[in-house]
Amino acid sequence: MSGGLPFLPVYVGDFVGATLMIVLSLQAMRYAWRLTRLERQNVLWTYLFWLCLALVTLAVSRSAGHILRFLMELAGCHFGWRLLAPFSGGLNSLAFMTVAVLTFYFYNVYLVNERVRRHALALAEAHESLQCLNQTLEERVEERTMELRRSEQKFRRLYEGSKDMIFFCDAEGRIADINASGVELLGYERSEEIVGQHLSAFFSDEAKWSRYFCTLNSVGHIKDFEVEFARRDGARLYLMIAASAIRDENQVMQGCEAIAKDLTHFKQVTDQLIQSENMASVGQLAAGVAHEINTPLGIILGYTQLLEEDFGGNEVVLEPLRIVEKQTKVCKRIVADLLRFSRRTSEGELSRIKVNHCLEEVLSVVEHSLNMDHIYVQRVLADDLPPVVADRERLRQVLVNMITNAHHAITKEGIVGIWTRFNTHSQELEIIIGDTGGGIPPEVIGRIFDPFFTTKGVGKGTGLGLSVSFGIIQGFGGRIEVQSPPRQAMLKEAGMRTAFHIILPVEPAGGGNC
Amino acid sequence: MPMSPRKVNPFPAKSAASLRLVRPLLLLAVLGFPAPALAVQVHGSPEGLYAHMLAHIFFASALAFLLHVLHRRPLGTGSAWRYFKLALFFFLLWNVDTFVVHWLSLRLEENAIIGGSKLWHHRLAPPLDAERWIFYLGRFDHLFCVPAMYFLVRSLRAFCAETEGRLKRLGEGA
Repeated sequence: MSGGLPFLPVYVGDFVGATLMIVLSLQAMRYAWRLTRLERQNVLWTYLFWLCLALVTLAVSRSAGHILRFLMELAGCHFGWRLLAPFSGGLNSLAFMTVAVLTFYFYNVYLVNERVRRHALALAEAHESLQCLNQTLEERVEERTMELRRSEQKFRRLYEGSKDMIFFCDAEGRIADINASGVELLGYERSEEIVGQHLSAFFSDEAKWSRYFCTLNSVGHIKDFEVEFARRDGARLYLMIAASAIRDENQVMQGCEAIAKDLTHFKQVTDQLIQSENMASVGQLAAGVAHEINTPLGIILGYTQLLEEDFGGNEVVLEPLRIVEKQTKVCKRIVADLLRFSRRTSEGELSRIKVNHCLEEVLSVVEHSLNMDHIYVQRVLADDLPPVVADRERLRQVLVNMITNAHHAITKEGIVGIWTRFNTHSQELEIIIGDTGGGIPPEVIGRIFDPFFTTKGVGKGTGLGLSVSFGIIQGFGGRIEVQSPPRQAMLKEAGMRTAFHIILPVEPAGGGNC
Repeated sequence: MPMSPRKVNPFPAKSAASLRLVRPLLLLAVLGFPAPALAVQVHGSPEGLYAHMLAHIFFASALAFLLHVLHRRPLGTGSAWRYFKLALFFFLLWNVDTFVVHWLSLRLEENAIIGGSKLWHHRLAPPLDAERWIFYLGRFDHLFCVPAMYFLVRSLRAFCAETEGRLKRLGEGA
């Protein structure tokens, strides 16, 4: 037989190929099975397992077509192959369909599975975060609370420890809270006494309150606002306020927060400076006038005394001459005072003086007359005071002036209080002379050191005592301050209504006498 | 004022009357002149082969689909996936080859294969035109399916190694 193409190579190829297919498909099946054992939930391994199962079926089914057929033909059993052939083809078709269906479904299932896996992963992460948060929540809360406490303490210390007055007001202007310095400055003991009071009650000038409140409302803040406050005891406080309005989300004012600086001392110093300038100019004027008047007065007095000698026995003439002499002497005294005021401490001898000793000497002279008017002296003199450098006579003059003023301030009976003390920090010695009189009205307290200013009746005072004293103490390098009413609790408790503070510098060296 | 949609009667009066007459006549024609039911469909002999060829098309479509999506959106990288895609590609070629062979076998004359009952005497009878050559060479389909299966085995083996390594690392990490 010749011609055509032999099918033997095809059948041999089929035989070998089919055998290899069976072997390889079983091998694939083994790996797929292993994969499913390793990860049971993996969709890809499941797909590969079923794919391999279908391919094993295909390989076995095809083997019937290629191997069994060959073997049966060799064995001469043609009928067997014809019986098996339809089953082989059918199984092959089923295997194809299975693989196709699995493949089409695999990808979609895989995508769904991936989405579920991602969500599960995100859920697991969220769960882990929540667990972590739950575990550390207590620590975080504690840490945050500590931070808040520290912050609160910091601001509380600033609020409580500030030497300036810090206060808060509500929308109506009532004080909602105030720090300890504010309470003390306003002359109260506890903040509860102030809380609830209207801020306007402390303003001495109602117009200033209106300006303060309107500015806060319209601008939202106010800065360097100088205002006069009235303390509980009636004393004046000069404050400089910086305040901000507290607003809600609708910009409606809910209140204000403010810091007020006490300028009272600063104002006093400024006033004293102005006073000094005043007195310096008046002193120059007075010195010129006194010098010019002093000579004619001396001549008048001299001639009057000569006339008195000439008319020794004539009482009718002597009486007017005595009046002239007396009034001339009064004029001379005024002129002497003026000259002393103008000369300040240019005269006199400076030495180291024990103040307590000097005070006792002065009191030994004036105390009797005080007692006559039922005025008693209360002494609180500190021991071991260092000496001050001053002119003895002039210091005594100052002390007499001050005690006399205290005497005149007390209309009926009362107490004149005298304190001495030494401030080691500033190295200053302080003499306080107070009285239980009527006090000095606020409107005149700024003018009491002016020359010729007096509140005493005609003929009782020349208005030069305090001016002269002020000049003398200034000459010693010290100063005189007045408080009416006094601020110190010690003086208040003693019932003083006015207190003059004579402050003298102390030199560390040596001693002296009075 | 909103306009109301205009209602149109699909059966005017005349048509409706005609229908009332036609319906009983149709019912009489159907019930009065019965024909064989033919409930059981009889299939001809090539139907099995056609079903088999359609299964090949279905199989090839699934493989082409998977290759396409793996190309567009790879599920992974590495040698395992590379072998897997090679396996799919060779299975696809095998499907095309076998489909062509099945189709050509339908076109061959009954006496195209000669040699009697003995398999080793079988030959493809001349004339050996292009169609017969394609048929003859296409019969060596194992040149496609055996490599396909081989690549599938390599792929699965690589998957196994990767998974075991990954699980081992996870175990050590834990």
